[in-house]
Order: sequence, then C-alpha cells, then structure tokens
Amino acid sequence: MRIVAAAIAVLSALCACGLEGAERRGVAGERSLVIGVKADQPGLGLKGRNGYEGFDVDVATYIAGRLGVPRSRIRFTTTNSSVREKALASGEVDMVVATYSITPKRKTQVTFAGPYYIAHQDTLVRGDDLGVRNVRDLRGRRICEVTGSNSWRRVIEERNVAARRVAAPTYAACMGDLAGGRLDAVSTDDLILAGFAAGRDVRIVNAPFTDEKYGVGLRKGDLEGCAEVNRAITRMYQDGTAERLLNKWFGRSGLKLTTSVPQFEGCS
Amino acid sequence: MTPTRSPDAAVAASSAVPDSGGDAAPVRKAGRFSVFVRGRWLLTIPGRIRTHVALTLAALLALLAVLTVAIGNARDSVQTIGHDAGPQVVATGALYFALSDMDAQVASILLIGRDHGLGIGRDRSLERYERRRTEAGRAAVQAAQLATHDPDLRRTVEEVLDGLGRYERLAGEAMLLDRQAGHPPGEPPAEVVDAYRQATDLMKVELLPKAYNITLDTGEKVRRTHETERSAILTGRAWVVVTGALLLALLVATQMYLARTFRRVLNPALVLATAGTLVLVAVATALLSAQAGHIARAKRDGFDPILSLSRARAIGHSAFADESRYLLDPGRADTYEQTYLDKSLSVLYLDMGTKPLNLANYHPAVDGTLARYRPGPGAPPFLGLFGDEARVSRDGREAAAFGRTLQAYRTVLANDRRMRELAARGDRAAALDLRMGRTSGAIRDFDAYDAALVALAGVHREAFDEAIAAANGGLRGWAAVPGAAAAAIALLIAVGVRPRLAEFR
Repeated sequence: MRIVAAAIAVLSALCACGLEGAERRGVAGERSLVIGVKADQPGLGLKGRNGYEGFDVDVATYIAGRLGVPRSRIRFTTTNSSVREKALASGEVDMVVATYSITPKRKTQVTFAGPYYIAHQDTLVRGDDLGVRNVRDLRGRRICEVTGSNSWRRVIEERNVAARRVAAPTYAACMGDLAGGRLDAVSTDDLILAGFAAGRDVRIVNAPFTDEKYGVGLRKGDLEGCAEVNRAITRMYQDGTAERLLNKWFGRSGLKLTTSVPQFEGCS
Repeated sequence: MTPTRSPDAAVAASSAVPDSGGDAAPVRKAGRFSVFVRGRWLLTIPGRIRTHVALTLAALLALLAVLTVAIGNARDSVQTIGHDAGPQVVATGALYFALSDMDAQVASILLIGRDHGLGIGRDRSLERYERRRTEAGRAAVQAAQLATHDPDLRRTVEEVLDGLGRYERLAGEAMLLDRQAGHPPGEPPAEVVDAYRQATDLMKVELLPKAYNITLDTGEKVRRTHETERSAILTGRAWVVVTGALLLALLVATQMYLARTFRRVLNPALVLATAGTLVLVAVATALLSAQAGHIARAKRDGFDPILSLSRARAIGHSAFADESRYLLDPGRADTYEQTYLDKSLSVLYLDMGTKPLNLANYHPAVDGTLARYRPGPGAPPFLGLFGDEARVSRDGREAAAFGRTLQAYRTVLANDRRMRELAARGDRAAALDLRMGRTSGAIRDFDAYDAALVALAGVHREAFDEAIAAANGGLRGWAAVPGAAAAAIALLIAVGVRPRLAEFR
C-alpha cells in the first residue's frame, strides 16, 4: 500500500500543476481597474479639479460597470500617446480609453476592443468663414501644425492639398491662433474639434475624410476581456447610453454624430 | 489504510477502538455488522483480500467515470466546431457579404445608366441584387438561431433586418429616379446621387457594421466554447492518467500481497488485468491527445482562416464597389478613395515608414512587395487579414493557393491604380470603361481574384473537414470501449482472487 500512497502523492502533485496553468487575469476578472485616459482634451479626457471628465471617461466608466467594476473601484490615470503600449504591457494600466486609434501596427502589440466610436478627420474654421466646404478648400490657407500630431500630414502630404503650416504647441493654442486670425483652419479628429468648439465662435465643416477607429486598448492576448468589452459597447449603443453621452459632450458643437454601433475590429 | 502486519500493531489497532475489552461478549453477539464496524475483519486474510479487491474496483469505477466524461467532452467539442456553431458562424459571414454586394449592385446600376452594355448589364445586376437580398435573409435566419440565448445579439439581428427594409426602400427610389433619368453612363443626375447617398450611408454606417459584429460575436462564442472544451479534454486526459496509475498501483499491491501471503510468484489473471489497464490507459490517453490535436487543427487551419478569408472577401467586394462609387459620386471621390485605401489596408497592410499613407504611395509599395513575396516560413512582410493568412498557409496546398490569390489580388490593385490615374487626368470615360467595360478586364480580373480567394477558402475547408473526420473516426466505437474494458478488468480481478478466497471457506 505504500506504493499506492506514494503514487497518489506524486500524481496529485503532477495533476495539480498540469491543470492550473498560471495565467494573468484579463479585465473581465478584475475587481478594480486602472484606466488610462487623456488629461488635456476637452470633451474627451480632461483633468480638472474634480478629477477626469469627458466622453472617453464616461465610456470607460460604462464599460467598467458592465464588467462589474463600479465607479468607486476605478482609478483613472493620465496616459499620454507615446506610452500607451508600454503602460498596457507592463500592467501599469488595465485599459486605455484615450482617443486611441486602432491600426494594424498597434494591433501587433495591443489587443483592441471596439472601436467604441469612429471619429473622422474634419476641419474647423471661424464661424464667419463660409469658404471652406471640404479639405480641398484648404489650399493656400493657413492650418495648424501641432507638435507631435500627424493631422497636418493627412491634409498636405496624403491629400496633396497645398495648405500652409503654422506651428503651435497644442490644439488649445491653435484655437487661440484661430480666434486671433493667425490661422484659417484647424484639421484633426472631429471629436477633438467638437470638444474645443463648445462655447467658441467656430464652425465644423462636416466634411470627414478619414476614419479613426477609437479602440479600447487591452493587454495583448486578453481575448476574453476584449469580447466582454465589445459586448459592453454593443449594449451601450443599444440602451441609448452612447447617444446620450455623445450629445452630452458634443451635441452643441454642430458636428454630425453617428449614434449607431461601429464595426468592431475583432479581438486578436 | 494502515499496513498492520505485526501482532503488536494489530493489538494496538484493536485497543485503539474505544469500548473494546470489557464489552467484548455483547459485541460478539451483535453479529457480523458490528464486526465489520469495529474493523476486526481487516485483520483476517480474506478481509484483507476483499479490501484490496474493493479498493481496486473503486479505482476501476473512477477510471471508467473519468474516461466516460473525457470522451463525452471530446464528442461535444467535435460537435460544436464541426457540426453546430462552427458552420453556422461561417454562414453568418454571408450576411455581410450579401448586404455589401447588394449595395455594390445598386452602385453599378446607377453608374451604367442607360448603357446596358456596360458592366454585367442592368438586368443581371438587378437579378444579382435580388439574389443577394434572399441570401441576406437566409443568413439573418442563421444568425437569429445562434442568438436564441443572447438577447443583445438577437436585437442586433433584428436591427439589421429592420434596416434592410429601409435600405431597400431608399435603393428602390434611387433606381427608379435613375431609370426615369435615362442618363448616359457615368453621369447620373444630382437627385439620383443624393438618393443613393442616403441608401449607401445607411448601409455603411448601420447595416454593415452590425452584420460584421454578428459574425465576430458568434465567432467569439465558438472560440470560447472551443477553449473550454479543449481544456476539458486535456483535464480529462490528466485525470485518466491519475486514476489509471492509481488502479495500476492497487493491482500491483494486490499482486504483491497475494504473492507474499500465499507464496506464489504471480497471479496470471491479475497480471492480465494489470496489462489490460495499462493498455486501456495508454490508448485512451493517446486518443484524447489526438482528439485535442484534431480539434485544435480544425480551428487553426480551418475555422479561423475560413472566417478571416470570408471577411477579406466581403471587404474586397465592398472596396471594388467603392471604385464605382468613386466614379458615380465625384463630390465624394476623396472619401471613397480613402475608404478604398482603408479597406485595402485591412486586407493587406504595409508599413510605409515615413511616407504619407495614401493610395499613390500604397499602390507601388504593395506591387513591389507582392512581386517579391512567396508564401513560406518566416514573418510575412505585411499585416492585415492576408498577414494572418500568410502565417497559416506556409506550405503545401495552402501556400500554393495563397500565392495564386496574392498574384490575382496584385492585378486587381494594378487595375485600381490605372483607373485612378485615368480619372485624375480627367479622362472619366476611359476610367469608366476600364472599370465597367466587359472587355477591358477590371471585372474579369476581379472575378479571377474572387475565384482564387474562394479556392483558397476551399483548401482550408478541406483541412477542416479532414480534421473533423479524423476526430469523428477516432471516437467511433469509443461509446462501448470503456465499459467493456472495465467489465473485462473487473472479471479478471474476480477470477484472480476467487481461488485464494476459496481456500478459507
């Protein structure tokens, strides 16, 4: 019988490690979440005295809620564009909801749920400027070139529209320059423009010319979490929350909003 | 159980039982049950033999139970991916394709106007539109069946069907206006273009994304079920090994006990039972490993690539239709050029480095890449759906079919490049003739590409069917095997110990 006892001991030890592969949990199983958002984009992610606020923050809160994590157990943190992949890989943040465009290249490092919204590059001009109807009309006009942003390239290089570049450190600075007459137009993602447009005498042209798929960034390989987040986004559109949030943040900007669920990218 | 061979140990064991000693006489009267409870029978040789047999049979039962469950899991797993959800998910992919092709046919009809000699002609386009409408309806029914337990998914399916009704009305209006206008090819009047914009926007913004999400969502369910079932099979295999080893250890222990007690070398029946157990466990373990392998292969080489190729096909068709939309609606030509680029990138993505990402740069880059590329091991020089395919189709029939598909796709992209060059030069008539003409080849080349893509999917379909057939073949007969084998082993054990027990009667 000693043989049997020894056999049982050895086999149950073998069995135990064979059965429970050590796997990092995904967002679907977390009790609390750290979510990376932007801190300097009005309407999307803006850090104020009462913490973070904006469309991205509300979307992230809704998704977390559908994953079973209430507002009290979410910690928002500023995640700048340059560190998003690293922050996810290191586990510093569990989820990134920060105007994070899905691209095939990024998909090799990050698992993207969503998109939760498809933004489009569009153009913003002063309220009394009726001469710009689409991106081609920017020929010869002064557009804002924000340090670190590629939006100007999409006009001048990708579409070969001979606009003139005027450098500015941030989009907020572009707005000042536009009002002050040092610029004629600002061209970037429509939701970013809409966030700035509120309360200013400006006009969004409503001539979109690219698709920017804003995704929810997750740790690479968290397919379970990705599927859950996609389900949450589907529900967000079905129950009217998406429409309400879009109107809450961008309703007064004059931007034409899409209130139907976007085409998902597929979890990989 | 405690090994109690020495008399001291036996005394110690019996004295450890409370209320023994003084109350011995009434206990003896109480009969066999009491004897059993007090454990004295364990000290007798027949008692020991019976204990060995009981434990061995218990382990045998456990092995039988574990085997039955594990084989049941393997069967479920083949059923899910091979017969139920797998094919149904692939069928929902037809929804996106049918919807997208409906809109493509409308664009063709409006573009060719009164020149029925262009494209495949108005009548055949209309016919194809109707056929796609029917297919979309059928695919929606499949999707609805998959959604019986998922209210959110069912709602999405309903929204697609509602939207389809609205789309048909808008498209019908556009086609009516078009017929009334009787315009020359490529010059539809503004009201036709406006009506079409409403229809195609509805399709692009609402219907197609939802249709696409339905396939993704149901595909995700298959992925999840597959993962669960696969890990259940592997867990089952581990338990077969554990219970099998336990049974073997017990059989060996019984053998040794009998050998020691009765001074015999081997008990032939028990040796046979041991050998039989060894064979059963080895064969069952191998079977479960093979099943897990077949199912993983069916998913990796069959289900996954079939699904992503059906996406590539649907996206390709809708990109091809963006060419006619580009010609149809010059006011939105920039937008349609951009959507063509976006769709091409999702099929075949190239890292352009610092070069501006537009069609003018994409076309030469992709042409150069495809001219050099041959399917094989190693990382492909592109990403996107074809990048995924390149990682699966590294050799054999898959690689050959994939290579043909890529070369056909290269021709399709080259035609697009020529068409845009003509349009950019202001020669709309030549651009229209290239895209829609029956002899100039864009349609013929696209059909050749489509056929190559379908053939590639067919190769994966064969791999899928082979894996599923192998899985089915492996399981054939296994409904009866565990029970019969267990019965035989039990019988051998009985045959082995009966004569020894008989010595005590």
